[in-house]
Amino acid sequence: MVLLSAPRWLRSRLTDRFWRVQEVLKYARHFRGRKNRCYKLAVRSVRRAFVKSTKARREKKRFLRALWITRIEAASLEHGLKYPAFISNLLKSQVELNRKMIADLAIYEPKTFKSLAALAQRRRQEGFLAALGDGKEPDGIFSRIVHHY
Amino acid sequence: MTGRGSPSRFLAAVLHNGVGRYVRQLQRLQLLFSPTAADARGARQFVEEAALDFARQHPDVVLYINPRSCPAPLLLAEYLNGTVREELIASKTSEEIVQLATKLAGQSGLDIIRIRKPFHTNNPSIQGQWHPLTNKPSALTVHGPRLQPQ
Repeated sequence: MVLLSAPRWLRSRLTDRFWRVQEVLKYARHFRGRKNRCYKLAVRSVRRAFVKSTKARREKKRFLRALWITRIEAASLEHGLKYPAFISNLLKSQVELNRKMIADLAIYEPKTFKSLAALAQRRRQEGFLAALGDGKEPDGIFSRIVHHY
Repeated sequence: MTGRGSPSRFLAAVLHNGVGRYVRQLQRLQLLFSPTAADARGARQFVEEAALDFARQHPDVVLYINPRSCPAPLLLAEYLNGTVREELIASKTSEEIVQLATKLAGQSGLDIIRIRKPFHTNNPSIQGQWHPLTNKPSALTVHGPRLQPQ
């Protein structure tokens, strides 16, 4: 090391320690306890918070999908349909709405959701008739597949 | 950079801009550069070649050209809601400065932080938002005339 005497040691002082510390503490201000004030504790907590927030981005998609499914299940049970029947019959009727949109419709457009539930119910009945009937009756209207190509 | 550790806002337009007339939110652009520094060469070329065209294409933005000795060439954008954005244009070519200026002219002065949802509406429900009595029979909600006992 070249700085061997006291006057030379003092030449290079760290002057922006405050701002370096604040860079970390600003992400810890809403924490509980001493880790929102003390740098040594905050560094560890902030790093863990960042790691958790990175990993949680993958879980958020799963969590939101489960929330939508719960809401659609509750809404379709109000109309007398269970969730698997509702979704499968909607897909068979070529209604390709994703769960997010169906959940939003159930909250904000309840009449539209009621008509979707009725469509799924009718398609379900037609499916039963086609499976259990003898083939003498014509195919159901909502069972027709429309080809868009 | 967590969800609660850093600030966030909802998607918004300044004062419903665009519903009627569109008002450009950029108020003025100040170009601070040094006439002799080497990293301000792009800024000087921009002033010579492209500044007039930019000013003509954006007539509602005031463009101030300030050649003075400054440590680094800057593009200062001031918006109608008071936000001031400084962009360094050191060692940028004239085309890049034009692109940067066009980008700043298209922005509103709202903070550039995480936007919680990419959509926003003041009227989310047209048929009436669901409440627990929406799908119940109307005998529960409608109060008819009180019938006298027979």
